[in-house]
Amino acid sequence: MTKIGLEIHCQLTKLESKLFCSCKADYREFEPNTNICPVCMGIPGSLPLLNKSAVEKATLIAMALDCKTPGKIAFFRKNYFYPDLPKNFQITQLNAYGNTSIGWEGRILVEDKQIKIRRIQLEEDPGRLIYEGATEKTKLTLVDYNRAGTPLVEIVTDPDFETPHQVREFLNILSDLLENLNVSDPGLEGAMRADANVSIEGGSKVEIKNIGSFHDLEKAVHFEITRQHSLAERKIEIIQETRHWDDRRKITVSARTKEEEAEYRYHLEADIPWVRINDNTKNQLRAQMPESISSKKERYISKYDITPQVAGILASDRYFSELFEKANNETNAKDVANMITTDIMGLLDTREKREISKLEAGHLSDLAECVKSNKITRASAKLALDEIIKNGKPLSQIIEVLDLGHLSDESTLSDIISQVLNEEVKAAEDAKQNPETVNFLVGKVMQKTHGKADPELTLTLLKKNLDIE
Amino acid sequence: MDLGISALSYVNSIKNAEFTVEEFISKSLERINQVDEKLHAFLRVNDLVIKNAREIDTKIKSNQNVGKCYGMPISVKDNICIEGSKTTCASKVLENFVAPYTSTVISKLNSEDAIIIGKTNLDEFAMGFSTEFSAYGPSRNPWNTDYVPGGSSGGSGVSVSANECIASLGSDTGGSIRNPASFCSVVGLKPTYGLVSRYGLVSYANSIEQIGPLTKTVEDSAFLLNIISGIDSNDNTTVDNKNQDYLNNIDAGISGKKIGIVTEMTNSEGLSTDVLNATNDAVKTFEKLGANCEQVSLQMIPYTVAAYYTITSTEAGSNLARYDNIRYGYEFDSSGFEFNSYISQARSKLGPEVIRRMILGGFVPSAGHAGKYFLKALKVKSKLIAEINHVFEKFDFLISSTVPIQPFKFGEKIQDPVSLMMVDFNTVTANLTGIPAISVPYKITNGLPIGIQIMANCLEEHSLLQAAYALEKTVDLPKVPV
Amino acid sequence: MKNLVNEEEISEVAKLMKIDLADHNDHIKRVQKMLEYFDILDNAGVESEEITVQETDLDKLRDDKYNPYDKNLLKFLKSYQGKYVKAPKLN
Ligand SMILES: [Zn+2]
Repeated sequence: MTKIGLEIHCQLTKLESKLFCSCKADYREFEPNTNICPVCMGIPGSLPLLNKSAVEKATLIAMALDCKTPGKIAFFRKNYFYPDLPKNFQITQLNAYGNTSIGWEGRILVEDKQIKIRRIQLEEDPGRLIYEGATEKTKLTLVDYNRAGTPLVEIVTDPDFETPHQVREFLNILSDLLENLNVSDPGLEGAMRADANVSIEGGSKVEIKNIGSFHDLEKAVHFEITRQHSLAERKIEIIQETRHWDDRRKITVSARTKEEEAEYRYHLEADIPWVRINDNTKNQLRAQMPESISSKKERYISKYDITPQVAGILASDRYFSELFEKANNETNAKDVANMITTDIMGLLDTREKREISKLEAGHLSDLAECVKSNKITRASAKLALDEIIKNGKPLSQIIEVLDLGHLSDESTLSDIISQVLNEEVKAAEDAKQNPETVNFLVGKVMQKTHGKADPELTLTLLKKNLDIE
Repeated sequence: MDLGISALSYVNSIKNAEFTVEEFISKSLERINQVDEKLHAFLRVNDLVIKNAREIDTKIKSNQNVGKCYGMPISVKDNICIEGSKTTCASKVLENFVAPYTSTVISKLNSEDAIIIGKTNLDEFAMGFSTEFSAYGPSRNPWNTDYVPGGSSGGSGVSVSANECIASLGSDTGGSIRNPASFCSVVGLKPTYGLVSRYGLVSYANSIEQIGPLTKTVEDSAFLLNIISGIDSNDNTTVDNKNQDYLNNIDAGISGKKIGIVTEMTNSEGLSTDVLNATNDAVKTFEKLGANCEQVSLQMIPYTVAAYYTITSTEAGSNLARYDNIRYGYEFDSSGFEFNSYISQARSKLGPEVIRRMILGGFVPSAGHAGKYFLKALKVKSKLIAEINHVFEKFDFLISSTVPIQPFKFGEKIQDPVSLMMVDFNTVTANLTGIPAISVPYKITNGLPIGIQIMANCLEEHSLLQAAYALEKTVDLPKVPV
Repeated sequence: MKNLVNEEEISEVAKLMKIDLADHNDHIKRVQKMLEYFDILDNAGVESEEITVQETDLDKLRDDKYNPYDKNLLKFLKSYQGKYVKAPKLN
């Protein structure tokens, strides 16, 4: 049986500051080595100052993944020399003297299969190495320490996955969950990274490291399973090793076999006392915890009578579910939900677009109201949305500027209908023979009025004009 | 003008306009010029002190607010950072290291108008107790320059003892304040772990070390502790002492107090007869002062030195890993080197004692050996804390000699690593348990000092200083011969 | 005779700690003696002891605020190239 386990590193990008200093948690906007201070650079005499919110947000993740959480958390030093580590050790967690990491023994359902979470820990991200010139013959290493000390949560699963597809599905669920908890923005480059371990029946465990994106993770796992099977078929032993994912060639390659034996000399980080997290604090955190995606979905279905499919789409996305909750006033819930899933999700399909969008919940409730009371058509509503997203002006103003108001003036509409009938002689004849084809003519009227014509009035007038029932 | 005056008398003299800050500082600089070539207490003298002194004199003359220190010259161990000036830890690897920020203790002293007169010598990275491991040469004991001054804050002890300054700040990981205080016949206080901020102290064994004062009198230690103690937002391990005034009622006496004489520290193998006699004499003195003295045994004491070296080596191995010469350090071009070989080359500038601690620190916490060494050491530490807590339910203080021996000659101890470790026997307990301990000058025997150590429960500095003050008032020691 | 930690083991550890032991055979002897002394820990009878440590409350920790460091730390560092810190090549 194939066994796959994951080690996911997720940056807590919603934090303001780094894990142990006041530099910015989101290092992405900075020139190299300008988001650094004595603490994250390990300047002699500096001391780590633990970020309270980092502990809280990490604990939320543990709770959401059904983990046990400790009464006290402890930090450890993992010692090894590497140029991206300013102190030549990483401050991380370890369950060495009792369970003192952020969480342990959790679980999550993935396609009806229970995946066990072994451990969740809070730790600091290292800096970033930028190699000079080509990869092989580099003369030196250049380092940018802006990322050093960024808060990172490591989530380790048991080897419970059996297929790359389950892995993919798990990562989707996890991304949605982290976004819903408002702890991380999984869409940011480098915010979520993963290592995998893969073994097939009778083979040793192989670690795959260096996988840059979740998309590649599925591919890497797939590649590795195929590679191991082909070895097994040829009766070649699968050795226990670490392999790197070659992003360019989309294959895994063996890391140097003579890798130094891991000897991290773990010991307690005395600069950070053990932090008590009492039941009171845990209850407060639990109370603050946003509703889970599954319970949100259930609520949408039962309260608003929305289809399970639409409810599921809405609930799993923090941005759209928030928009939905704010814009709906119960009576218009279905309309708002449909407008979000059919129009807005297409218009705002990337993080960047959402960020610059001027759309507010108020726009959406106004829009639903106008459609419902026949002030504008669904088609006009979509045009209005386009405009609102761009400039955020009030709906009434947009209807005026774009001239989207319903065309329900009988004489104007009659004139347009006459025009259409003159142009579409053949279609008019067809409609007289077969009244069901009259919709084609309704469409033509809509086209001419840029979607503003009142559809019911148009139909009535057309029928009257063509003398059909 | 007497350069040997205490901090409190200095403040009075300045207030009474007996002399100006500039006059006192100039005299102190003269004294340093005169004696320090021989004593080598200082690694560097601050060249801005006269300017600082004039500024404070101006403040005094124009009746502006002046800080409690009134420009008194204070020396600082060279492992405590001051922005814009060198902090070498007496190591070649930090020969050119200029701190980009100022430690909390120095900020506090500055805001009370102290004048930092210079940075003092130490054993490299504070590992040792003789200053023989300083990469810049040892300091010498002012009582007899053939003898070591103790360490690792040896330069601090010498500078106070030889009247080159009024007081000094040192750091104490296993006795590094108390040992030189005892060897140089000055007062040295290791505060409760967390009472004084370590922000800006270059870490050696961060779970047990503290900054503390070396002074001429017990009152001066209380005076400096008032300034440097307290919670600090830059150090998560600091504790709130509610702005306690340690000078208040310092003369309350110790009548009726219960004192435990630590049995294991009065019958240890390496204890010298002269030191034992002095300790017994101190016990009698305490009894005359109205205290009740009684033997008390702590079972873990025989294991403390091994536990101490295991823990400190482990932490030092980690704390000193950052000295890879990449981000700061000395000039040594890395081109052509591979990462591992470069830093191994760069780190060969570490001195012999540090190198040995690095090896120990790689060994004792390693996966294969942690169970035998590191974990057991932590457990000895924990059990010792339990024993200490238990003992302080009955006793107010514990006493012993500060060091089992008197100052030794240069080169005398350095050959045998095990007997070298035993010098720490009486002092490491306070570090392993976090309790405060003070060394009070008690005797001069054969021309060399002996100090008595008093320990109290955590955050009991106030009563500890009262006890030390009471003892100090009973002794009348000769003046330092230099 | 006690079982001394062998030289090879010590040399391995030195390598791990990035300490060049080429001319330092004296160190090995001294480290061996110190480790031999540490055997005393076996007699302490502390196997069942719990480890105790300093504790603090969550409320005492630093609030999550961005507060940029006001100095150009890169300029203070020893070796840099352009905007980057320079380190030796890896392997
Ligand atoms: Zn920082």
